[in-house]
Amino acid sequence: MNANAFDLGEGEPIITLRGIAKSYWRETLEIPVLQGIDLEIPSGAFVALMGPSGSGKTTLLNLVAGIDRPTGGTLEVCGHELNDLDDDELAAWRNAHVGFIFQNYNLVPVLTAFENVELALLLTGLGRRARRERVAEALDLVNLTDKQWNYPRQLSGGQEQRVAIARAIVTDPDLLVADEPTGALDAKNAEEVLGLMSRLNTEMGKTIVMVTHDPKAAHQARHQIHLEKGVLDRAVEVNR
Amino acid sequence: MRWLALIWKSLLRSRRRTLLIVGSLVLSVFTVAVLQSLLTTLDSVTNNPNSGNRLAVRHKSGITQMLPRSYETYLRQQPEVETVCALQWFGGYYQDPRNFFANFASDETTIFQTFREEFGLSSITEAQVKEYLRDGAGCIVGETLALKNGWKVGDVVPLTGTIFPINPRLTIRLIFKSSRPSDENVMHFHYKVLEEGVPRMKGLTGAFWVRVHRPEDIPRLIDRVDRHYANSAYETLTETESAFNLAFVKMLGNISAIIQGITIAVVLAILIVTANTMGTAIRERGPEIAVFRAIGFSASRVLSLLLAEGVLLVALGAALGILLAQAAAGGVRGALGAVMPFFADFEITSATALLCLVGALAVGLLSTFIPAYAATRRPITDGLRSVG
Ligand SMILES: Nc1ncnc2c1ncn2[C@@H]1O[C@H](COP(=O)(O)OP(=O)(O)OP(=O)(O)O)[C@@H](O)[C@H]1O
Ligand SMILES: [Mg+2]
Repeated sequence: MNANAFDLGEGEPIITLRGIAKSYWRETLEIPVLQGIDLEIPSGAFVALMGPSGSGKTTLLNLVAGIDRPTGGTLEVCGHELNDLDDDELAAWRNAHVGFIFQNYNLVPVLTAFENVELALLLTGLGRRARRERVAEALDLVNLTDKQWNYPRQLSGGQEQRVAIARAIVTDPDLLVADEPTGALDAKNAEEVLGLMSRLNTEMGKTIVMVTHDPKAAHQARHQIHLEKGVLDRAVEVNR
Repeated sequence: MRWLALIWKSLLRSRRRTLLIVGSLVLSVFTVAVLQSLLTTLDSVTNNPNSGNRLAVRHKSGITQMLPRSYETYLRQQPEVETVCALQWFGGYYQDPRNFFANFASDETTIFQTFREEFGLSSITEAQVKEYLRDGAGCIVGETLALKNGWKVGDVVPLTGTIFPINPRLTIRLIFKSSRPSDENVMHFHYKVLEEGVPRMKGLTGAFWVRVHRPEDIPRLIDRVDRHYANSAYETLTETESAFNLAFVKMLGNISAIIQGITIAVVLAILIVTANTMGTAIRERGPEIAVFRAIGFSASRVLSLLLAEGVLLVALGAALGILLAQAAAGGVRGALGAVMPFFADFEITSATALLCLVGALAVGLLSTFIPAYAATRRPITDGLRSVG
C-alpha cells in the first residue's frame, strides 16, 4: 500500500505519513493500533476520517496534530518533520500550525468566551490591541460577538463549539483537526458547526481533518478515508 | 487578558476550596507568627544586650530568700566591681490588681549607674535625679508605663502591696525612656520605703545587681563571691543577669522546645492539607491541562502557571495571617505588657513575618510542584481521553 493508492485531490501535500505505526504495550504484550500507514493529504483538503470504533481514528488524528508520537514511521506536517522536533518545539509548532476542535468543546470554564479564544494568542508575540482585534474577528466569524463575555456554562452546546472553533482559528493555523466535532450536538447545531467548517475550508483555505462517525458530517467533507483495524481501507471522494 | 488574570481566574475556579486553603493558611501562619514572636520576645529577655556587664547575686536557696544588705560592702571592695545596687521585687499594683507592672524597691544611689543603658541617661537631667534622691517617697517610672496610666512628673501614685503589707504613696520625680519598651514598663522607688515600712525587711534584700568594669572579669568574680559566702548563714548564688533572667523564664517550662514543636506540627499539618487540596485540584484539571498543551503551551509553561497559582494562593493566606498576627500582637502588648514586662516588647518582627512568608511559599511550592509536575508530564492524549 502506498500514498498513491489514495487520491485526495490536487495540491502540495500538507500532511505526509510514511509507514506510520503506533502500538501500546500492556506489560510486554504489544498492542498494535496503527500499522504502516502511508498517506498524503494535500493542502486545502477537507478529509473525514471514518471507521469502526477502536479502529485507530483518534490515534491517527493525534499523531497528525502532534500531540502524540508514532512508534514507527515518519510524518511531515505543515513543512516540519515532526519526529525531529522536541516536546517544546512541537508545542510551539502546534501553536503556530494546528487548530483543535474537540467533541466536548473543552473550553476553560473560568474564562469567558473572549478569553478562551484569546488563550492561544497569549503564546504569540502579539500585543493586547492586536490580540483583541484577532479575537473579535474570530468571534465575528462564528457569529458570537454578542456572547463574548459569557462563560461556557452560559452558552449552549452549539455556541460552545463555535467558541471552540473561534479558538482553533484565531492563530490562523494551516490545519484544523477535529475529533467528532458534532458528536455531542443535536442535528441543528451539528449542521451549523459543519457549515462553519465547510466555510473555513472553502473560503479560508484551511486544511481540515475530521474524525467522525456521523455520515451526515462526513458528507460535508470532500474526501472520506476509511480506517479498518489500524490500516487504511479506502478513500472516497464525496459527490455533491 | 494577561497572565496574572489567567492565574487569578484559575484560582477562583473553586471558591470553596480556595477559601479553605487560604483560611487554613491564615490560621496556621497566625499561630506560627505569634508563637515565634513569643520566642523572640523571651529570647530578648534572656539576651538583653545591656546585661553583659552585670551580675545578679541572690540567695542560693532561691529568689524568695533574702540576703543581708551588709554584703554590699564586700561586693564593693572587689576590684572588678564598678557599682552595686540592692534590688527587691515589690510586686505592688496601681488601683486594680489586674493593673500590675514591674515595681522595685532599689538603692536610689546606685540604680542609675547600674542600669545606665536602660535609663538612657542622656534624656535624664542632673536636676531630675537630684529631685528623686531628695524625696524619700519619690519614684521613677518608664515612659510606656507613664503613658499607659496618664502619669506626669509630680503625680502621686498609690501602690498596693501584694507581697509586703504596705501601700506606699509615691510621687513621680522622673520619667525615663529606654531603647526597649519592656525596660520602660518599670517603676523604682527608694529602698528605705520598703525597709522602714516592713520591719522584717530591715537590712535585707532579695538580690544585688553588680556592675563590673569589664565582662571578662565576670567568671572570676562569680567564683570568688560564692566561695566567700560558702558555708555562711546566707550562701549566695551569683550569676550573670542573662542567666538570672533565664532562670526566671524557665519557671514557665521549656517554652522554647514546646513552641518549636508546635511550629513544626502546624507546618506539617498545613503542608499535608495544602498538598492534598492542590493535588486534587490539579488532578481534576487533567483535561484542561491537556487542552492548554494541545493548543501550544509547553509542559514547563503549564507547570509555571500552576506553580504561580499555588504560590499566589499561599502568599495570600500568609499575608492575611501575618496581618492578623500583627493585630493580635497589639492586643498582647496591651493585655500582658504590664503584667510581664517583656511582653511590652511583643511584636511580630519583620524577621518573623518574613520567616512565615518564606515558609508558606515553600509549603505552596512543595505542595503544588509534585502534582503539577506529574500532571504536565502526563501524555496529552491521556488528558484528552479522560474528558467526561
Ligand atoms: N493509551 C492507550 N493505551 C492502550 N491502548 C490504547 C490507548 N489509547 C488507545 N488505545 C487503543 O487503541 C485503539 C484505537 O483507539 P482510538 O481511540 O484511536 O480509536 P477510535 O477509532 O478513535 O475509536 P472511537 O470511534 O471509539 O473513538 C483502541 O483499541 C484503544 O483501546
Ligand atoms: Mg476516537
